[in-house]
Amino acid sequence: RTYHSTTHPPPPGPFTQAETTLLTTALTTHVPNHGFTLESLHLAARSLSLLDISPSFLGPAPLARLIHFHLYTARTSSLPSLASQHADLLQGLPIPEKVELLTWLRLKQNEPIIQHWQQALAVMAQPSHVPTAVKELAMLADEVYYLAGDKSVDPSWYTKRGALSGIYVAAELFMTTDKSEGFQETRRFLRRRLQEAEEVGGVVKSVGEWVGFTASAGVNVLRSKGVRI
Amino acid sequence: MASAVAARPALKRALPSLRSTFLPQQQQPQCHHRHVIPRRSFATSPSSRNDTQTSSTTSSSSTADRETHFGFSTVTESQKRAMVASVFTSVADSYDKMNDLMSFGWHRVWKDHFVSTLNPGFSPLSSSDPSAPQHILDIAGGTGDIAFRMLHHAHNVNSNPNVRVTISDINRAMLSVGKSRSADLPASQQAALSFVEANAEDLSLTRPLQPILSQQEQTFFDPATATSSIPDNSVDLYTVAFGIRNFSNIPQALREAYRVLKPGGVFACLEFSKADRHPLFNSVYKEWSFRAIPLIGQLVAGDRDSYQYLVESIERFPRQEEFRDMIVDAGFRVAGQGWEDLTGGVAAVHRGMKPRV
Repeated sequence: RTYHSTTHPPPPGPFTQAETTLLTTALTTHVPNHGFTLESLHLAARSLSLLDISPSFLGPAPLARLIHFHLYTARTSSLPSLASQHADLLQGLPIPEKVELLTWLRLKQNEPIIQHWQQALAVMAQPSHVPTAVKELAMLADEVYYLAGDKSVDPSWYTKRGALSGIYVAAELFMTTDKSEGFQETRRFLRRRLQEAEEVGGVVKSVGEWVGFTASAGVNVLRSKGVRI
Repeated sequence: MASAVAARPALKRALPSLRSTFLPQQQQPQCHHRHVIPRRSFATSPSSRNDTQTSSTTSSSSTADRETHFGFSTVTESQKRAMVASVFTSVADSYDKMNDLMSFGWHRVWKDHFVSTLNPGFSPLSSSDPSAPQHILDIAGGTGDIAFRMLHHAHNVNSNPNVRVTISDINRAMLSVGKSRSADLPASQQAALSFVEANAEDLSLTRPLQPILSQQEQTFFDPATATSSIPDNSVDLYTVAFGIRNFSNIPQALREAYRVLKPGGVFACLEFSKADRHPLFNSVYKEWSFRAIPLIGQLVAGDRDSYQYLVESIERFPRQEEFRDMIVDAGFRVAGQGWEDLTGGVAAVHRGMKPRV
């Protein structure tokens, strides 16, 4: 189904049980050491007492599948559980602050594998995998705003999520070269970008108002001179 | 090779009499009027179904009389086995040429993709044994297309010399073609290859390939002559490319695949499938299939009926989702949706893994 319901369990995701077992083992135990490679998948298969041929059941692009799995679990299970863990922190904050905190929590999910993340982004930038990657990004932006409690129903729904998608991508890329303690530079980078987005949002709104008033004033002046418009 | 070539004209002469053995008497005049009235041969009418059970010359197995389909007609399983045998015997030595003509050479791309994505012979480099042995069983792989690619990928690309391939086929003519083609392989790859006659629905009865010595010999495997078997839990990778739609009893073949695979072993099937997710492309494809392919068969190989059967059998094969469900029913675990479409769905690769417990 294409809607989200809080009263019904979610539909089964794109990963089956057997796939999940293999990919989870690979992601948690082997990817930090060997990266997003066939090596990690085959070592994971061996540690589960499967055969060397077993990762072939994943399909024609097992690495993209592994990376997609990381994106999927970080969004659907890690982020909501972290949000409920930090519920007390989140409670008192206004929505923009909540968005910042939740985006930061999601960025931290990349910590164990950050040294291989540039390679993963290169894999997902291949044309056959771009649709999957873009879809996951869009759903992540929506998830962050949903967990932040955003209930807007106007066109800003789209602009907010679009802006957050762009900011998240920039912050993730920044994080791959960040060597600071606890990735605090990345957090500052994130804060600066979110602030700019708010300011730009405010500026765009003011400019729009000015243009609107000036245009209608100009039209009225012309009408007063006898122009039929 | 010579034996297969010599066998073919004899078998072509024998084909009309083979047909008359397996069809009730009133269908025979159709063979003679074929050039006047374009009509599908092997057609049976509802009234003849009772006769087919008495006139079939089959084993005493109770499943031999169960109904199945042969192209667009309904026959019993044992009839289908014999009819398929005659089709593939007559196309054996022009099989590759015909595949090239029908798919504009694209079948090579599909087979290359199939083998490279299965990645036989890969072992993790940081493990204790970086060239772990693997046993690959290629079913209905008579002419050796898939098996030769598997050997090249394992031995050369993955530098793993401990991978061996067993080619199994019910049709001895196809296996003979494969055996003669394998003479061009490097010696190390030939040593890793073995040819076995078997019915994929019962791999406990097999026989190493016996060359066809005379034209009177039956060209398909007779289980009564079996001398060995494929044991349980002995195969790492079970592949079947463009073969499974010809089986009389596909669920039985899937159960046999489950039996012979080791826990963790992979089942992979490359087969024609439904391209109807793209309606315009699909209608062009259908036109090409049903109009051009039998005509090409007639002009190039002089054998319209076999290619008519091939096209009809593609049409009757279950769609991707149904076949995936059959694979899951046999006990395999799949990943994602369980299949991958090639060329818009004209072909599809289905994969499954036998679970550990």
